[in-house]
Amino acid sequence: MTIADIGKIENMECLQDRYEDRDITDAYTSDLLSDVMANASEYSVLITIQAHKNTVAVATLVGVPAIVICNNRPVDDDVLETAASEGIAVFRTAENQFQSSLRIGEGLKDL
Amino acid sequence: MSPAAIVKQAQESGLNALALTDHNCTFNLPVFAEVCAREGMACLYGIEVNVLEEAHVLGLFDCLDSALELGKLVYESLPDVPNQAGILGDQPIVNGKDEILGFAEKTLYGASSLSLHSLLEEVHHLGGLCIPAHIARPTNGIISQLGFIPDEDFDAVELRSGDNPELAGRYPVLRNSDSHFLESIGAVYNELEMESLSVENLMAALSL
Repeated sequence: MTIADIGKIENMECLQDRYEDRDITDAYTSDLLSDVMANASEYSVLITIQAHKNTVAVATLVGVPAIVICNNRPVDDDVLETAASEGIAVFRTAENQFQSSLRIGEGLKDL
Repeated sequence: MSPAAIVKQAQESGLNALALTDHNCTFNLPVFAEVCAREGMACLYGIEVNVLEEAHVLGLFDCLDSALELGKLVYESLPDVPNQAGILGDQPIVNGKDEILGFAEKTLYGASSLSLHSLLEEVHHLGGLCIPAHIARPTNGIISQLGFIPDEDFDAVELRSGDNPELAGRYPVLRNSDSHFLESIGAVYNELEMESLSVENLMAALSL
């Protein structure tokens, strides 16, 4: 599964598309960023409702190349600008973290 | 814990100044101001906001109206979930005689839709100080929520009494009681010298 494949998931909207497409090897679902920082692995997609600039900061630190924002949470432009400057893809869906994790898990199943 | 009882306890504890920083609201600040004026107690008007990141951040003002303006903005930004007193306790708004005037309708337990950065901008715009609260607490402190202190224009950070000062990084430190009960008022305090209590003088004293 690549980052671009996330955008092909039903009801998934791409908010920040300035990224280099690459393979995703894992996913991490959490809304506590200190936990993401400690436990998410590099090249994971982060599934969360935390839609602010510090989410991008943690993703950058961990090496997460894509973020999926759930529950259609609003995402400010400055968040997308920061993500663009880091080359991190940002997607958004109306689905919750559990449903999004299932869908992304389906894509990662063949690994 | 009513403003009148808080001020009385602060006097008995030997404090010369205090700030009231209710969670996500400023409804009790007007009566707090009235009681402090009556008792000759120096005070700052504050709020402890649970920001979008679910970290607690203090806004401190020497102008009551500015604090109330921020309080209005924060209250409007809370989820529209009515409080259920039986679960999370009631949220009374009182007068100077400890009589209940009404209740905050939304639960004050929720998180604001204002991010840490937006709150900081609003607080500074209104002339207040923006201070992340209890940054090293395992819950709702900026470090527990984010894992780090973001590089923002915070005026200071708040530590608990035993916290390692190195946690504050480059920011000035306030050590407060974060008192939720009368008996802990004055248990932790800062010794600062200033001619009168104001945001400007507090910053000058903290920067020494």
